[in-house]
Amino acid sequence: MTRSLPKLRIAAAAAAVALSLGAGSAAAKDVNIKVWAGGTNEADSYRMENIEIAAEILERELALQGKDIDIKVEGKRDFGKWKEFKQAVQLAAESGDAPNIVVTSHLDIAPWSKAGLIVPVEDYVDMDAWPINSIYPNLMEIASYNGVTFGLPQDAESRPFFFWKDTLKKIGYSDAQIEALPEKVENKEYKLTDVLADAKKAVDMGLVEKGYGFYPRPSNGPDYAQFYQSFGGKMLDKDTGKLILDKKSMTEFYQFFIDAVEAGVTRKNHLGTDWGQWYSEVATGKAALWHGGTWHYARYTAKEGLDDFFGKVQFSLIPAGDEDGRPNTITQPLVYLVTKQNSEEDMEIAAELVKIASSPRLNTLHAIKSAHLGISPEQGNIALYANDRWASEATERLLVHANAQPNHTAFGQFNQIMFKGLETAWTGTKSAEDAVAEVEEEMKAALGNMLIVR
Amino acid sequence: MKSRNFSSLPIIILLALVSLPLVTMYVFLFVDTISDAPAGSLIPTSFTLEHWRFLWEEPKVGETSIWPVTLNTFIFAATTSSIVMTVSLMAGYALSRLNMPFRRFMLAGLITLHAFPTITLIIAIFLILQLLGLYNTLLGVIIVKTALELPFGIWIMKGFYDTVPWEIEMAGVQDGASRFTVWWKLVLPQVQPGLVALGVFSFLSAWSEFILPQVLSPSGSGQVLSTYLNSLILDDTRPDFNMFKSVGLFYAMPVIFIYLTFQKKLMNIYGGGSKG
Amino acid sequence: MKKPSHLLGLGFMLPALIVVVLFFLLPVFMTAGIAFTNMSTDTGITGGAYELTPNTIHNLRTQGVDNNLLAQLETDVYRIDEPGLAALATDMGDKLAKELGDTHGGVTFQSRRELERAIKKLKNKPRSTRKLKKAAAFFKRSILNQRFETESEFVSATRNLGLDLAPEHQEVLSKASYTGWTWTTENFSLMTKLPSTLRIAGNTVIYVFFTLTFNVSFGLFLAITTFYLPGKAAATFRTIWFLPRILPPVIYVLMWKWLTWDTGFISTFFGQFGVPAKNWMLDTNFHAWVVIILINGFVGASMGMILFSSAIRAIPAPMLYASEVDGATRWQQVRYIILPQLRWPILFITSYQTLSLLTSFEYIFLATDGGPGKATEVWALSAFHQALANYGGNLQYGYGAALALVLVIIGIIASVGYLRVFNFKELVARPRIEQ
Repeated sequence: MTRSLPKLRIAAAAAAVALSLGAGSAAAKDVNIKVWAGGTNEADSYRMENIEIAAEILERELALQGKDIDIKVEGKRDFGKWKEFKQAVQLAAESGDAPNIVVTSHLDIAPWSKAGLIVPVEDYVDMDAWPINSIYPNLMEIASYNGVTFGLPQDAESRPFFFWKDTLKKIGYSDAQIEALPEKVENKEYKLTDVLADAKKAVDMGLVEKGYGFYPRPSNGPDYAQFYQSFGGKMLDKDTGKLILDKKSMTEFYQFFIDAVEAGVTRKNHLGTDWGQWYSEVATGKAALWHGGTWHYARYTAKEGLDDFFGKVQFSLIPAGDEDGRPNTITQPLVYLVTKQNSEEDMEIAAELVKIASSPRLNTLHAIKSAHLGISPEQGNIALYANDRWASEATERLLVHANAQPNHTAFGQFNQIMFKGLETAWTGTKSAEDAVAEVEEEMKAALGNMLIVR
Repeated sequence: MKSRNFSSLPIIILLALVSLPLVTMYVFLFVDTISDAPAGSLIPTSFTLEHWRFLWEEPKVGETSIWPVTLNTFIFAATTSSIVMTVSLMAGYALSRLNMPFRRFMLAGLITLHAFPTITLIIAIFLILQLLGLYNTLLGVIIVKTALELPFGIWIMKGFYDTVPWEIEMAGVQDGASRFTVWWKLVLPQVQPGLVALGVFSFLSAWSEFILPQVLSPSGSGQVLSTYLNSLILDDTRPDFNMFKSVGLFYAMPVIFIYLTFQKKLMNIYGGGSKG
Repeated sequence: MKKPSHLLGLGFMLPALIVVVLFFLLPVFMTAGIAFTNMSTDTGITGGAYELTPNTIHNLRTQGVDNNLLAQLETDVYRIDEPGLAALATDMGDKLAKELGDTHGGVTFQSRRELERAIKKLKNKPRSTRKLKKAAAFFKRSILNQRFETESEFVSATRNLGLDLAPEHQEVLSKASYTGWTWTTENFSLMTKLPSTLRIAGNTVIYVFFTLTFNVSFGLFLAITTFYLPGKAAATFRTIWFLPRILPPVIYVLMWKWLTWDTGFISTFFGQFGVPAKNWMLDTNFHAWVVIILINGFVGASMGMILFSSAIRAIPAPMLYASEVDGATRWQQVRYIILPQLRWPILFITSYQTLSLLTSFEYIFLATDGGPGKATEVWALSAFHQALANYGGNLQYGYGAALALVLVIIGIIASVGYLRVFNFKELVARPRIEQ
């Protein structure tokens, strides 16, 4: 430091005044930052707490630059479910009362950016600076739309296939075979047809009740797009930016669930099962095979009391459906988004907070508490993360293969129609072909020229 | 009606049987809040106040304490009820007694509005609140709830005014008092019972309201007990029915108290019905 | 005397008129308006901006706009040119501008990030991220992904690019870049095309018909049975059946969930006899319908109970005693004396509740939320889901309003019809509450 001290003081004071946009005095300036987190339970509280910690760090950083700013962070997560949260954010933003930071699904980026509810985070932070430059590039890609980075990934997850080891053993698997299962899935040696066969064995031998051989997620979610992918389906045409309805893959995907119901391994009325019931059933071995999310680990081992997870459960990618398809898993990272505010400074501070909250240390707190996966390879260097068996194994086995659903303004509708079609096929209201025909009709009507049918 | 020819026992038994589901729900709504039962059993084995901990525990990060929410609910219900009473008191009198242009038209409009699909207008209502800067405020929800209650309130008050003998007013007017004084001094005391009934009715209606605050005031400052309880139920890491019920009972207590106090009046006014 | 009374009357009506017009009539007209727009999450409610995105360019390509032109628009360009440097110099000082001009004058960068990297290497680089971003912005020579609040800003920015743009092309470009909502009748043609429309209409008919049947018949049952009971017992049963109506819906539905959930009362109770636990509310479509009709029916029956009770009490007691002396059975009493007296109350309840059931969805929303699948999704709930609550989060305000408008129209027609049936004059004259 070559400048003399008084000079620095003056410069600092000038900067503070400039920054406080005419606050009038040198007193601390208050900035209130509201953080709303969707789909967030008690276990995910670091989504908000990390912003609080970041605020403290930023206050100190700014203080060193002579800027006396008092950042107050106010978190809120008790919205009910996703739809209540999204409704609240959108209506609040429309009325100019948006929270500064929202934690939400990356799928909201497309519609919300088009509506001007959010601002690109890349307009406010240096994308080459740490920790942003250390985040997995595929996750950064997922947080972008139209080539612009709108948000920063808040966590990563993935949606694995689960096997109850005891049941597998009783239908004839050896320990070695169970250990090799994830690899066989990855190499397409174990496919969805094998899933049905094993599930049927478990039901026929009376190891699990009828309808509990294969026990899927009970409500709509990205998980079902995985089965579309298992049969070779693609969701987005990169060249034209249009969504794709692959009729062949869609039919096979619906047919798989029809077959599962007909074989008696999945209940016809399975969809709509209460989540609480679902968790307790899969965590106690009532189901032979099922699929879920990496964050379920926290629920299984804590609330549901599954004590020896690794001894009792095997997990893998979602197996391929046929030769055209691929074993896969979908990650649906939540992202930190900065909303449009009247004050440039508030947006800048919000973006800065999000950046700091994305540092490996802070993100690891969230990852471990909520059993999510990290957002940066550097987290492997943090003991807390590296020593957590679930985080490290799931990262290795799943995250590297994960892809995400496309950011597209009409994807919400696409997904909803696809799921509705699945429901009509699953519940036996329609055959797979008829259900897909209805889906095609609805998609064409609702999406128009944003859709390619194959 | 009592009758010597028939015994009422068979009817009591029949009614008791069909009432069983409701009675079961009421009994366990109370019992479950102060006891624990082992899994898979219905009979409580131990007494506990644990389920009421939301009353004294500090809320966790991102959650709201129940007390400000309760206060909000009270403000919401009390304000709505007072505005509905005041406005209905005036408009009901005008429609019942005062000559004015378009009276018939207004009456017909009132009846139409009474049977109107209010909740389906919520998108447009949101827009208006937003333009007025009242979205996400308790005041906005209060005004909207008031507007939706008014057609019913005015209609009820008009009914009460209709029963007040016309002679009372004539006497007042002949003594040289103005219409306003007559209304204030002579007519108002006559409709007081009706006013109380309407006040209680609209208080309960606002106290129970769910969709309006849910959509029009989702964030903390305007949260009320219905939305608080609902988001608690939806939070799927805690399917703790005993706790839900405790919050529910806490929320329902004023309703039950009001019911016991104003039983007769309420039975009458609900005959007019405002919800299906 | 007449005039002041007019004034007083209008004065007394004024507060009511203001509130009702503002929050009742205006919303009706606005709903009608919104129904003819494509308003949704991505168009926003309050109006749009102009933004040219790669997606817009894809769409323009299929509309036959000159490919060369689109290619030029598609590239994000940062050029270090004189105007940019001059602007930079006035804003951030000559030193930085001069250094940048010296090192990179005339250079074109393909993205902001590249330019930022170049600036960061300068000796006189800006010392904050905000200034860095600002400095880079002076050199942007493309309108890609840039948001303009008004059309004129957008047009002038496009002109500044120096492209050879025909007016009709400019118009196509502006139109395609607009992010806000536009007027359209598509919602209604979509409604007729979608297979789901028929399903929710069918569900609505099921819901209204069965709930109404339950309400009226059970209301009658309660009114008649409690009529024959001694005072205390009658009051007890009336209280039991009246409570669902005044209990807040959230609690009332919570009690039902507890009753029917897989860990709830019915499952636990039958569990004692070896019946496997299941969710009695959502197990099958049939279960869901039964529960939905009971939930609404228990609330609705009390209205019938109260109205019918007071109508029965209005029957002269001697008539009933006389019939007993004549040896009439209770059934004969009900059939020939009580029921004929209830004709009008029954008609009133039927018509009143048809309309309110048609438009109500609160209890269904709280209980099954339209599930399982879409089995109990009724018209009003579907409008709410489309407009304000769907999993995808892309709220279709326009389509939701169109669905709501259908209900509004049915509501108006029905109310006008009712006014005729229930002789308007009589209704106007009849007080609604007996004291």
